[in-house]
Amino acid sequence: MKTRSWGLLLGTVFLILAALALGQRLSFSPAATAQVYADGRLVRTLDLSAEGEYRIESAEGWNLLTVRDGRLTVTAASCPNGDCLRCGAKNTNPPIVCLPNRVSVQFSDGGTVDGVVR
Amino acid sequence: MCKRYWSLLLALVLLLSACDLLPDLMGGASRGISETSIWAMDTQMDLQLYGDTDGAVMTELTSLLNALDRELSVTSDGSALYALNEGGETDNETILKLASKAKDVSALSGGALDITLYPASLAWGFTTHNYRVVPAEELEALRDKVGMEKITISDGKLRIPAGTMLDLGALAKGYAADCCRAKMEAAGISGILSLGGNLQTVGTKPDGEDWIVGLQDPENPAGFCLTLKFPGSKAAVSSGDYQRFFQRDEIRYCHILDPKTLAPVQGSLRAVTVIADEGLYADALSTALFVMGREAGEAFWRQQGDFQAVWIEADGRVFVTPELKSRVLEGSFEVIDP
Repeated sequence: MKTRSWGLLLGTVFLILAALALGQRLSFSPAATAQVYADGRLVRTLDLSAEGEYRIESAEGWNLLTVRDGRLTVTAASCPNGDCLRCGAKNTNPPIVCLPNRVSVQFSDGGTVDGVVR
Repeated sequence: MCKRYWSLLLALVLLLSACDLLPDLMGGASRGISETSIWAMDTQMDLQLYGDTDGAVMTELTSLLNALDRELSVTSDGSALYALNEGGETDNETILKLASKAKDVSALSGGALDITLYPASLAWGFTTHNYRVVPAEELEALRDKVGMEKITISDGKLRIPAGTMLDLGALAKGYAADCCRAKMEAAGISGILSLGGNLQTVGTKPDGEDWIVGLQDPENPAGFCLTLKFPGSKAAVSSGDYQRFFQRDEIRYCHILDPKTLAPVQGSLRAVTVIADEGLYADALSTALFVMGREAGEAFWRQQGDFQAVWIEADGRVFVTPELKSRVLEGSFEVIDP
């Protein structure tokens, strides 16, 4: 009986540890804030819980950022290829990068990878 | 018995919760993370260092990157490269080193890498953003100015004839990553550097785990086509048609020119990623492999064997070299023949 209890206990501990490890591995927490860089400088930190529209100007052009429902979308931009517009509504990394305008948006604590090869 | 069991279980859960919270309570300070972003070499560079407690290495790296930018800029009239393109001669050690590497990779790859294509790149408008489709006869007229054989290196000097211009954009960020890595290793710190999408991991993560790296999906800038684990220090560089390009009549013209045609590469590849120990080599190879196309690139890999690669085709298929098979965490792929 005693052996069986310890077996049960160890089994439960193992399950909890496994669940914790899996949770850690799969965690995908949406970011609360987004950092906006223009020409390599941090120009704004946006609270993703507050709705708003922000026009970001750089030396090369402009991007219009819209925050709604906890996500950020590039809704208009002066860049020629429009890659940033195709990123959709985001609150997790990888960052949104508009190379022609030298504007990027990074999300705090919102990624599952350490780095992105672009 | 049951009571005792549940009490023990509760105590364990509380203990584990506390353990889980501990790293958060200690915050970044215990891990010594420092992050900086700068704009250099016409792109954004994000530096994330672990263990740079007084910020000295970060300062050193940003100074280094800004100095390389000033030295190797093809458009700034104060740079050593600009002076070479104007005057036809230089003894600048960085330019000599990069040009020598470019000559080596060009020779190995059958001319797939060419750093003399700047006059053609100017004609296509990739530097000025005044994009246009260049007529064939105009490209033909540029032939006299381009070709790796125009570069001569002797007696510690590099010389090019009048009209020939070098652009080190296919190598500079890779070289910069190598320089940063050397400084970080000398200081005994680890970290991950994104130099405009060129990724350099240095050392190991503080938690001892492998670095997790995503390869951007050319079709979806917000997603990954693969995520991979990287053990230790590695350089990963992508070349593709999705970052700098323009479109005319539904044809996509990317910024990577084929040395044979002097026109943007028009193949079935969307991107190639090269993973290697040396950033300079990875950078040079990624351009060469994109120009070569997948079949020739696979043959080149079999011949060289000193790098790993990922090819992303226009139809969405992803091909990886065999060693990468065990490193892929997420994404569909096919393994090329060894």
